[in-house]
Amino acid sequence: MAQTLDLGSRVELVSMDLHFDDISIALYCPDGPPCYQVHTYSHLLGAAERVAGIADAMQVLGGMEQTSDGLLRFPCGHAHLLAVKRLFLEACKLPPEQPVKPRPLHIFDKKANATIAVASLGQGLYEVRATEQVRGVERRVATIARGLIRLGEMEEIADQPNQARFGCGHSHDALIGLLLIRAPNVRAAVREAEAMASRGVLSAPSAQE
Amino acid sequence: MPSSMTSRERVLAALARQPVDRTPLCNPTSVATVELMDLVDAPFPAANREPELMARLAATGYTELGFDTIMPVFTIIQESSALGCKIQWEQKDNWPTVRMSEPIWHEPDDIKIPADLCTHPDTACVTEAIKILRKEYGDEVAIVGKTMGPWSLGYHCFGVEPFLLLSLDDPGETKLCLDRMKEITIEFGQAQIEAGADALCLPDHATGDLVSGEYYERYLRDLHIEFAERLSVPIILHICGRTVDRMEYIAQTGMAAFHFDSKNTPEESTQIMRDRISLVGNINNPETLFSKGPEVVGAEVVRNLEAGVQLIGPECAIPLQTSIENLKAIPRTVQEWHRDQAHN
Repeated sequence: MAQTLDLGSRVELVSMDLHFDDISIALYCPDGPPCYQVHTYSHLLGAAERVAGIADAMQVLGGMEQTSDGLLRFPCGHAHLLAVKRLFLEACKLPPEQPVKPRPLHIFDKKANATIAVASLGQGLYEVRATEQVRGVERRVATIARGLIRLGEMEEIADQPNQARFGCGHSHDALIGLLLIRAPNVRAAVREAEAMASRGVLSAPSAQE
Repeated sequence: MPSSMTSRERVLAALARQPVDRTPLCNPTSVATVELMDLVDAPFPAANREPELMARLAATGYTELGFDTIMPVFTIIQESSALGCKIQWEQKDNWPTVRMSEPIWHEPDDIKIPADLCTHPDTACVTEAIKILRKEYGDEVAIVGKTMGPWSLGYHCFGVEPFLLLSLDDPGETKLCLDRMKEITIEFGQAQIEAGADALCLPDHATGDLVSGEYYERYLRDLHIEFAERLSVPIILHICGRTVDRMEYIAQTGMAAFHFDSKNTPEESTQIMRDRISLVGNINNPETLFSKGPEVVGAEVVRNLEAGVQLIGPECAIPLQTSIENLKAIPRTVQEWHRDQAHN
């Protein structure tokens, strides 16, 4: 009797959880988007609690909610696939003993030497602003807005390089707070994802070092 | 056509190019994933070094994924470890590798087969796992072992670059090395047959990127003929990469099957082999199984079935992060395709 489940498509995988016995934890889409399920096949004592903790963290960090079936979804009812992947990965990184709080809608950007904030203008539209006017800050503001667009699959706004909009037309403040940390350096986030993807692929001896 | 066969009967018949009730699902390399490791609590690297864990993880290919074979030898380094190569065992989510930058041999006279080749913990683990599986599954499923060919062992023990340079500079010395190393292949293969293996995968990495078809003919064809003669179970030769330029020679070896890479189309491969040797493959790993969805997996399965590939499976050891959903799509598509064929 097979023990594996029909959990639908796997959206993201953490192959070794740093905080719980190296178990593998994945985000699945049991009935297709927009509902998600955090799952592990590990039967180790405490694994179920670890999974529940990650699901809780995704609600706090990304503003997701739990359905009556125990699945996770965004209140707007849209999938936000790229954003949910990032949210899952960030939730897995948090030590379980650390209290989870939503991330603020501002960061200090070292390159700009200024605080960068994101303001919700309603209907899914966000604007990136610098709290201090220092030299070159406008370029950094635009870079961070582009980072949000890439990480959150947001839409560009014509002639407004510091704005971005969620296609669903709903506000996602918690999600923006989470993505804002990675938005100044999207390349690093992409590199991290590529490094994860290249592990576990067996090369022929001729291709090994 | 037989009405109903066990998995073992199906695989052995397909390897002999005899009629089957449906195309068998075969994994001559590895279908282990990190999630299956969790399911049966048998993670890498321990599952490569402890027979109970190795057997438990291997069995999931049959019990969970629906393949007709169980292949417990996930890595390509078990015998190299027994020979004294330095091994980087890695973690759960990565493959162990030989540190080929630190070769153990430099010339033919260095080649010594240790007395404990098949009793060393890393080779005994394989034979013990095969015994466990045979005891647990009896004759219901085909158990496939693995013994590395001399070309691959040359890379591991001499280092890739030195071994390739030797093959360019001194064909005589190279042939002497291969001739001596072939006994390692035979000895470890024989130990697995005695432990209960129904067939053996024999990877010999004369890969398309570094070695030509002419090289294969010059250095390996006769050795492979000898393996087919001396090892008493069906042999599945595995070579990665583009290999159509050597398939004609491979077809002459008398091996039961060739496990081929998706860099070769199923159509051109079946055309060359012309039922002289079975083909196993060739669902693409990095792009399809790892990165795409079950529909794309299914399409590749159908393409292989329609081309007449005798045993269906991934082209090589699958990435450890491959999704279970994609792996299950392979047997499901085979079942559906046969059902459709029967209706039509």
